[in-house]
Amino acid sequence: MKPRTQSIDPFSALADASRREVLRLLSHKTFTISDLAANFSISRPAVSKHIKLLEEAGFVKINEIGRERYCILSQDGFIAMQEWIDYFDSFWKLRKKKLESVIRARMTEHENS
Amino acid sequence: MTKEIVQLWELDAPPELVWQCLTDTNILSEWLMPNDFSPVVGHEFMFHTRPRPLPPFDGKVYCKVLEVVEGKKLSFSWKGGPGDGSISLDTIVSWTITPAGSRTNLLLEHKGFKGMKNYLAYFFMNVGWQKSIRRRLIETLKTYEATHAVN
Repeated sequence: MKPRTQSIDPFSALADASRREVLRLLSHKTFTISDLAANFSISRPAVSKHIKLLEEAGFVKINEIGRERYCILSQDGFIAMQEWIDYFDSFWKLRKKKLESVIRARMTEHENS
Repeated sequence: MTKEIVQLWELDAPPELVWQCLTDTNILSEWLMPNDFSPVVGHEFMFHTRPRPLPPFDGKVYCKVLEVVEGKKLSFSWKGGPGDGSISLDTIVSWTITPAGSRTNLLLEHKGFKGMKNYLAYFFMNVGWQKSIRRRLIETLKTYEATHAVN
């Protein structure tokens, strides 16, 4: 598995309506943090905090160009969500093998008794 | 690409034995995870496994028995989180037993990965992330909102 830098649970990151709104806006175009903040009634520091969290969860990347900070979408967060499902898929496949060996042991025990 | 987990396990064992493997806490520990399960609707129990860093998961699965149809069906909630008291994984596991002669078909369904069903499909069924993805993100965010409103 590729190393990832995000440290926030992507599911938690998407649980907030403001953060989903940030992603929706970024799906149209790249925004600076100030331009993004202009779209919200909450304070700019609050918006910054949401963006920071989205960045940590791998949904957003921030590029500094000159004095401006531009936000763009990143797919790492989405990949992390997929990996989480894949983890359970493999988890269950492995459990199936274990169950089969438990069953085999019990069937043999039964036949011999 | 997996949206939710559905696996059919064809087992070389009679349904009664399979049911026992699913509901006996000791046998369950042998092949699934250590637990304090009991096949009683409303019973709350836990599974213990290894913690995992990403997404953060402390290895504790919090469960509650939702449905027990003796010998046929069992379902329970399956919740987990990073260990700070919050729950980020809120899913349901169901087992359905169908006898097949002296053998058994066991259906596993692990569902309810919040919003992911709609969300992820759009992101991964298409190769072009930058091109068509932006329009699709808008659609999927709407779907995500809708599924959350329902939840």
